[in-house]
Amino acid sequence: MDLIKKIAYTLGIAGIILFLIWDLPFGEPVPEGRELIRYWFITGAKEEVPYHARKFNAIQDSIYIESTAVPWTEHEKKILTGIMSGNPPDVIQQVTPVVKWASRMALIPLDEFIHRDNFDTTIFFPALWEEMKWEGSVYALPVNSASYAFLYNKRLFREAGLDPEKPPETWSELLEYNRLITQRDQRGRFTRMGFIPHYGNLQTSILMAWQLGASFLSDDGTRISMKNDETLKAFAWIVDYYNEYPINDVNAFMAGFGYAEQHGFLSERVGMMVLDSSFLDQIERYRPDLEFGVSFIPAFEGYTTVSSSGSWWLAIPRGAKNPEAAWEMIKLAVAKDTQLETVAEMEESLFPGTREAANDPSFLTDEMTEVFVRQMDYARSPSIVPMAHDVFWREFHNAQERVMFGLQTPEQALARAERIVQRALDEAMSYDRFVRGRMSITDHEK
Amino acid sequence: MMHGIINIIRRVYPSYKNKQIFLAFLFVSPWVVGFLIFGLYPIIMSVYYSLCRYDVLRIPQFIGFANYRDLFFDDPYFWKAIWNTLFYTAFRVPLSIIGSLLLAVLVNNAVRGIKIFRTIFFMPSIIAGVVLSVIWLWMLNPQYGLINSALLFFGVTGPLWLQSAEWSKPALILMSLWSIGGGRMIVFLAALQGIPQQLYEVVDIDGGSWWNKFWNVTVPMMSPVIFLWIVLEVMFSFQVFTEAYVMTQGGPLNSTLFYNLYLYYKAFDDFEMGYASAMAWILLVITLIVTLAQFKIGRKWVYYEGDQAGK
Repeated sequence: MDLIKKIAYTLGIAGIILFLIWDLPFGEPVPEGRELIRYWFITGAKEEVPYHARKFNAIQDSIYIESTAVPWTEHEKKILTGIMSGNPPDVIQQVTPVVKWASRMALIPLDEFIHRDNFDTTIFFPALWEEMKWEGSVYALPVNSASYAFLYNKRLFREAGLDPEKPPETWSELLEYNRLITQRDQRGRFTRMGFIPHYGNLQTSILMAWQLGASFLSDDGTRISMKNDETLKAFAWIVDYYNEYPINDVNAFMAGFGYAEQHGFLSERVGMMVLDSSFLDQIERYRPDLEFGVSFIPAFEGYTTVSSSGSWWLAIPRGAKNPEAAWEMIKLAVAKDTQLETVAEMEESLFPGTREAANDPSFLTDEMTEVFVRQMDYARSPSIVPMAHDVFWREFHNAQERVMFGLQTPEQALARAERIVQRALDEAMSYDRFVRGRMSITDHEK
Repeated sequence: MMHGIINIIRRVYPSYKNKQIFLAFLFVSPWVVGFLIFGLYPIIMSVYYSLCRYDVLRIPQFIGFANYRDLFFDDPYFWKAIWNTLFYTAFRVPLSIIGSLLLAVLVNNAVRGIKIFRTIFFMPSIIAGVVLSVIWLWMLNPQYGLINSALLFFGVTGPLWLQSAEWSKPALILMSLWSIGGGRMIVFLAALQGIPQQLYEVVDIDGGSWWNKFWNVTVPMMSPVIFLWIVLEVMFSFQVFTEAYVMTQGGPLNSTLFYNLYLYYKAFDDFEMGYASAMAWILLVITLIVTLAQFKIGRKWVYYEGDQAGK
């Protein structure tokens, strides 16, 4: 009896241990004779190892890359703790402004590598390239990009008696079109709208301010100017719009918007929108039958269109064990053929990060893609105040919201925002002065 | 090896009692060591960081009480966040306690199928925070939501809820009542069933009404449980975060910018860890004061069995 018990216990415990370790990720075996480097990439809905990492492993014989997915919502925190612990990966992928990290000494400058290898930096879009720099040094290379263009629903255009091949070119034309497309039910509630200035990631007001030539930061990077004439004019336009379309009615209408099929544009409840290039994927997935057109973002009479850009970039974090190998991998990822193969290979693909690849005939297969790529030439960087990036955008939105709700005049709202952002910038600069001389990029705190 | 350890124990702790103490410490040591390294050390460091500019990526810069001074005198969002959080707490705590207590009394009746009702009331409390938030985004939809449709049935045009600066906090309070009510109800129900029946019989014999039973028997007998939940509920309310983070991101017009949400933005968007640490310590002090005050007041009304009331 005792013996049976003992055997049963032993087997039971062994079984449990086996069960626990059965599925443990012990990591892929590193091919013999190859150096291991680690790569953290951002992942969205699908956990797909980026094509450039797979290709690197296939063609390399001295370096092997181990890719780890970092969830979309946590990428900043993971990398933050990775660097802080002194044990970061060798390559990171990021989507937020480069300067947010570069200005905090989180990244290794790439200048030496670039000079040594005579690396051609003109292959990148100028707007994206500017974003990779901080105080004259380059800290990252853009591997994917997204630009914004103007999307409109051709079916709704026809229903409103508009020519579906003639999207609005100016903001006043857009207002006219909006009036024709917008519909209400018997109780006065919106059931369809032409254009909503505050719907979408990229706010109409910032586009307008950019078009008019607004400058938010002094050349020496120390003074904030948000209450400038250009932004005031943009906000005045916003005020006029919401005088005609009360904010509460618009918000009630917008409360029904969500993701996928619930998206305002995909559900054909909004006729015109400024959207980024990755949205084409969503249309393909959720509303392949949608009749839509892509054109340049409207401008004020006499001004040219302006867009914004976003980039996914690769960089080497401070404390990386093997920057040399990391650089090899980054170089491969931005090479033209890798970029084009990525677009063809990946299920969720973004625009190429280089102008060279994006302008290749094999990528420019349809008119819409071409509009997005051409719009990139007019793109502005969203890193407006590098050292107080998030504060700037939060205050910009807060100011616009107060103006939309009629709580403050554009002057009051922007003056308040300016004060708060200036304070944050002063703080950041003062901290920066303190850190300089006491710490350098080569310090490893641990 | 084992022998050696026992010999050391014998030498250091000659008496049996001391040996027991040592063993007790030995048994709790995994927790103690874990707490010292992962609990106490960060807590102490956060005191230091709260006196610094610190973005995690670079060395901290000591600036004395400047973070605290800025918070109190120079940061409009700090006061906005305090106001939002206090408003939320002031309504959520009493409403949730009263609501779930009444619910518990209701389902304490031996009616046919009462278990089904108990289950129905309890169900919302097992839904995870983010899922709950997404469900309620639709329930609170001003045009097509369940709540406004129901109101419209009675001829009332519902408010804009999360889209309005006035109604966004009430909307979140309403949602929290729905989601936590069932769980609290179960706790109160258990306490209710622990009240001796004789006490109610005494009221019957004396000719008392249901109100006498509720007010003079149920409430005093339940007071320790009620007190515990008021204390906990205040702490939970001070820490409200998920709903606002998922549903409103603090808007509209910062009407749902709760204290922890603002702290999160400061820490993880702006990387201002020093500032966020200072905020965390202020929240701790506020919570401490409120809790101590509750214990002080609690002594006057909480009745512990076997104790003399009022002591």
